Amino acid sequence: MFPIRCFTCGSLIGNKWERYKELLKMKTPKEALDELNIKRYCCRRMFLTHKSVIEEFAKFHGAVG
Amino acid sequence: MKIEFIQENENFAKFILKDSSITFANSWRRAMKSYVPTMAVDYIDVYLNTSFLYDEILAHRIGLIPLKTNLEKYNPQEKCVCNGEGCPNCQVSLRLNVEGPKVVYSGDFISEDPEIVPVFEDIPIVELYKDQQLMIEAVARLGTGKEHAKFQPVSLCSYKIIPKIEIERGKCNLCKRCIEVCPRDVFGVEDEDIKVERILDCSFCLECVKACDEKAITVLETNNFLFTIEGLGQLPIRVVMKKALEVLKEKAEEMNRILEAV
Repeated sequence: MFPIRCFTCGSLIGNKWERYKELLKMKTPKEALDELNIKRYCCRRMFLTHKSVIEEFAKFHGAVG
Repeated sequence: MKIEFIQENENFAKFILKDSSITFANSWRRAMKSYVPTMAVDYIDVYLNTSFLYDEILAHRIGLIPLKTNLEKYNPQEKCVCNGEGCPNCQVSLRLNVEGPKVVYSGDFISEDPEIVPVFEDIPIVELYKDQQLMIEAVARLGTGKEHAKFQPVSLCSYKIIPKIEIERGKCNLCKRCIEVCPRDVFGVEDEDIKVERILDCSFCLECVKACDEKAITVLETNNFLFTIEGLGQLPIRVVMKKALEVLKEKAEEMNRILEAV
């Protein structure tokens, strides 16, 4: 799942994730981050490098247990 | 001491603190970060959790969600009439009862008190797949940033000294090296003369002093400070600033009492 706060500076980023995903459909990551007003590079990398592990787990949902 | 706002809205403020001292500026910054009480979820009771995340991870994620805070209505737990046991005067419970398939958002919490709700309703907590279920009771209380970073009302709170740059007209030969060398683009040219145009951007790197062969530039510290504060939304910025000053005053008075007793 996407982190709620930036690991480094502690500002709230969780509330911007859904809008970021929406924006990515039409825009580049840079434009999307600028539009969401995410200025610091610590917060920006949280978006750029995120990988949802829960989706990987979900592939095996129902197969075990 | 005087405050001049440059930029301000509910969750962001940039202001100049004039004629103060570095000790005061720093203690105020620290008070805003670590002594202003705000609401956050302290612990959760998990009745049922069949999601992919462990209870502990859920507790951690829920704890980080900022909650709107009313400082008049609630007491800090250690000062409450219940002596820290937990009562309606010092804590609020938020219930979460959801079934998959669905993404659980912070807005799904049902609060006991309609005033104490998550600031943002669209923070994803966990994704539930088919037949997964969550039954959680989260208990929020007042706390300070000193105890845990989740209670901090500000995400960024910093100050810097505003410098004073003096250019000696007699020595300056208008070589414009200082303009080229300045990484923050502080200088500008006006009427064939070098002027300091964006003093607030200066970062005290002293590159201009090093670059000036005529030794015409001096950079001095002043007693003015540029504060930048970014709030998380639990409390408006002005309330955070005021409350921090109240806490500082209280602490100073306590120190006075101790000194008198000695």
